[in-house]
Order: sequence, then structure tokens, then C-alpha cells
Amino acid sequence: MTVEATAGAVSRTQPKIANELLKSRVGAAMWFLLPMLIALAIVAGWPLLRTIYFSFTNTSLSSLYTGEWIGFKNYLNWTTLKSGRTVFSGLLVDPAWWNAVWNTVRFAVVSVSLETVIGMIVALVLNAEFKGRGIVRAAILIPWAIPTIVSAKMWSWMLNDQFGILNDLFLRLGLISHKVAWTASADTAMTAVLIVDIWKTTPFMALLILAGLQMVPKDVYEAAKIDGVHPVKVFFKVTLPLVRPAVMVAVIFRLLDAMRIFDLIYVLTPNSASTKTMSVISRENLFDFDKFAYGSAQSTLLFLIIAVMTALYIWLGKVRFDGGDR
Amino acid sequence: MARAVSTRRKIFFTALAWIVALLLFFPILWTILTSFKTEQEAIASPPMIIPSWTLDNYFEVQARSDYFRHFLNSVWISVGSTLIALLFAIPAAWAMAFTPTPKTKDVLMWMLSTKMMPAVGVLVPMYLIFRDTGLLDTVWGLTMILTLINLPIVIWMLYTYFREIPVDILEAARMDGAILWKELVYVLVPMAVPGIASTLLLNIILAWNEAFWTINLTASKAAPLTAFISSFSSPQGLFWAKLSAASTLAIAPILVLGWLSQKQLVRGLTFGAVK
Repeated sequence: MTVEATAGAVSRTQPKIANELLKSRVGAAMWFLLPMLIALAIVAGWPLLRTIYFSFTNTSLSSLYTGEWIGFKNYLNWTTLKSGRTVFSGLLVDPAWWNAVWNTVRFAVVSVSLETVIGMIVALVLNAEFKGRGIVRAAILIPWAIPTIVSAKMWSWMLNDQFGILNDLFLRLGLISHKVAWTASADTAMTAVLIVDIWKTTPFMALLILAGLQMVPKDVYEAAKIDGVHPVKVFFKVTLPLVRPAVMVAVIFRLLDAMRIFDLIYVLTPNSASTKTMSVISRENLFDFDKFAYGSAQSTLLFLIIAVMTALYIWLGKVRFDGGDR
Repeated sequence: MARAVSTRRKIFFTALAWIVALLLFFPILWTILTSFKTEQEAIASPPMIIPSWTLDNYFEVQARSDYFRHFLNSVWISVGSTLIALLFAIPAAWAMAFTPTPKTKDVLMWMLSTKMMPAVGVLVPMYLIFRDTGLLDTVWGLTMILTLINLPIVIWMLYTYFREIPVDILEAARMDGAILWKELVYVLVPMAVPGIASTLLLNIILAWNEAFWTINLTASKAAPLTAFISSFSSPQGLFWAKLSAASTLAIAPILVLGWLSQKQLVRGLTFGAVK
């Protein structure tokens, strides 16, 4: 009886201590999170609100603090002429803006899909057993690890119309009949940007997919082999579904990055209208063209487009970022 | 028979993998080779493959634009911002990994959402803050902004590593009367060293490569290598070989660092999935 009572008391106090400890830990946890949340709010929240505010004013670079509220006029504005015709102006009817939107979307979709497919192939190769796997794995990482600014300069040198090695190589192989000004001509500028981006990012994709591949148990392949299933079928029916979550996360990270692409285009094809993306054009308006409020409106719209896209993607793909519950 | 097939397969994959690796590595190799050529050799047609191994370009880059100052700026900014970020991130990741609340997932998502933000969208307000506080073109200012920008990634990575640590061990330390900071410093951190190391490496590389903020918030004094390279041009004549030399110097630390730590790097990049 007494023994039982003591045991009961102990087992009752034990969780109580643990509970109090836990409570104090939860309290501490809050204090640990707080500084970080405040810091992020400063770097992300406040400037964003300010940009959105600017987009509803007529602020210019020379009068940053004296802009006046003009409502939606940066987005859409119209004036009725004497003849009764209505003329629209503003971002929503600006062909240069929609050209940039189209460029960005085209770039994002083409680059990310090619990177995913090529990355998948590279990952399958890397997943096979061969000599020097570690070295090869490190070597293919390098394009991703070096600064984009540097690789853009390197490639602009290799793609140079007069002295570039690629023109020379392609001429010898008979792929082209005359030297091409890759980065300057409107037809090839986007291709040049795509080549460099694919070169840079495919290794990253391949690694993320490789991570998924390595989690597929070996037995699965052996079972399929014993059953005599064709390797192609194994890939589509077994491998692909199993690595899908890893690929989905990789794709969304890349897509978000691609939609914001700035530095590569800024260095490689700075003046080509056929590669101007949303980020590039809004920076241009913000600083170079003295259309500050207009540039802010473009930034705001870019943010909205990316946010909507992400929400859609997460909702459609049911992506889980945290790797499931504990 | 089966063995012969598998050997042939192995040779095939080895060859394929090495071809892929060489193709990917070629632009870098070409830059390094060009950096050892004279300017005349660099533009020779047909292209010269073997350079004359001159070191003039390197000396000129240093003499003309004080390369080492930019290099040191890069080191300060990337290492400094990473260490500060870790200081903030370890407690935050601990909080989320070991005392999860219903809000934890929202916080994680919100952190990710700040990474979605197009930097252009916040550039001007940020520039104004920097100007008004006198942080423009200072190493401190850049260190601060890179800390904040990479913080979500650092927390996210640490969070995934911390979740692999059994909570019982921390609880045991707690029951033994370890106070909070001892629990963190003596129990959690030693167990998470590999995770913290790969987070550190990855973040140093990310900070080293960052270009948007470094280009827009520096003039010359605090400009790191990325800003230096992006504005690199010669007052007169040819500069491709010199540019190649500057580029080679800018990527050399990454190559060395990456080579020494490729295992941790691969693990870090894949958020701990490839071991």
C-alpha cells in the first residue's frame, strides 16, 4: 500500500517536472524564434510594403519622400480624347511589360523542364556504379558552385562572335555555316541564356534527383529484374513514382529562382529585348529610366505572379517540404 | 557471361559519366587555360589550346585593381555573415525541431516565402535604409544583409538535421538538470556537428556567389569579388586574358573549398538526403 502510494506519487511528480521543464522550454523557444522573425520582417516585410506603397504613388528617384497617392494609375489609366476615343495607358496595357512576362515564363518553363530531364539522365548515370564516382560527383558540382557573374563572363567570352571557341568548334563540326553573334542577335540571345543556365543548374538538379534515387531500395530493382520487366518500364512504373516527391521540391525551388532571374541576363545579354525578364525590366525602370513608381508597380506585380504560381503549384502537386511528420 | 556483361556495363557507365563531367568542366578549364595566355594568344584564330603559361595577367590584375582587397572583402562578408546567421539559426532551429507548435509549419512556410521574393522588389527601400544609416558600401552593411537573406536557408537546413536527433537525449540532459544553454552548447551542438558543418560550407558558398545585393549596395570600397568581376573591363584594348585571370582567382577558393568538403557539400545541398 505505502509502496504503491509512493510509486504513484513519483510517477505523478515525474511528468509534472517534465511538464514544467517543457513549458519553460516552449517559452524559451518563443524567445529564440522572435529575433529571427523580427529580422526577417525587417528584411522582407517592411521593404515589400514600401514598394507596394510606392507603386500607388507618383514617386520619382529625385523626390523619394514627396510622392503623392495616385491610386491605380500606374497599373491602368485612361483618358478620353475629344474625339470620344479612350486611350489606355499603364502597366497592364504595356507591351514591353508583357514581352518581359512572356520572356520570363518562356525562360522558366523551358530551362526548368530541360534541366529536369537532363538532370534525371545525369542522376541515373551517377547512380550507376563506376570508377571515380566521388571525383565525378564533385566535378559536376563546380558549375553550380561558382558565382553566376563569373560564369556569365566566361560564357560571354566563349560565345564571342569573333574569338569565341564555340563558334570555332561548331564551324569545324559543320553545325553552323558562319560565325554567329550568339548574345547579340535577337534570334539566339535567349538560346545563349538558356545554354548557360542549363549548364549551371543541371548539376544541382541532378544531385537533388540523385538524393531521391538513393532512397529507392535496391530490392525493388532486383525484384523487377527477376520478373523480367523491361528497364524502361521499371523506370516509368517504379523509379519515377518513387522519386517524384524529391523532383517536385527541386522543380519548385528552381522555378522560383528562374522566375526571378537577374544576374545572368544582366551580364550576358544586357541590352537584348528578347531576353529582358521581369526583374531586369523593373530594375531598368526603377533606376535607369527614372520611372520609379512604374518600376515599383512592376516589382509588385512580379511578386504577385510568383506568389500565385507557388500557391497553385503547392496546391496542385501537394508538395511536402518538411519530409513528413516526426 | 553475366560477369562479362556487368563489366561491359561498368565500362560504359564510367565512360559516359566522365564524358558528362568533362563537358561540364570544360568552360572552367578553358577559362583557366586562357588566364595563362597573352592577350594576343587569347584571340588567336584558330584558338590556341596550350597557353604559353605566362603569369603576367595575374600580376596585372593585382597591380591595376588591388585584387586582394576585393578578395578579403569577399572572405569577410561570406564567413562573417555565415557565422552570424548560425548564431541566430541554431536556437531558432532548435525551437522548431524540438518544441513544435501548431504554428511551426506556418513559420517555416513564411520563411520560405521570403526566399520567393524578387530582390528587385525590395531593393529601393533597402537602399534607402542603407543610405540613411550610413551602411552603403561598407563590409558591415553587406555582411548584415547577406546574413538576413540566407537566414531562412540556414534555419531550414539545420531544422532538417536537428530532426534526426532523438529528442530523448535532450530530455535526458534536461532531467539531469542541464540548463537551457548547456543543453544547446554541450548536447545539441556536438551531436549536430556534421549538419552544422555542411550548413556552414553551403552558406559560405552562397554568400560568396551572391551578386545582386553586392553589386547594388557597394561602390568600390566594400566591393567583393562578384561586384569586382561584373564591372571588370579594361581602359583600353583587349582584356579577355586578364578577365580570365580575375575569374580564375575568384573561383579558386570555391574549387579548393568544394574539393576538400565535397561529401558534406553534397549532403548539405540535398538537405541531408544523400549521405
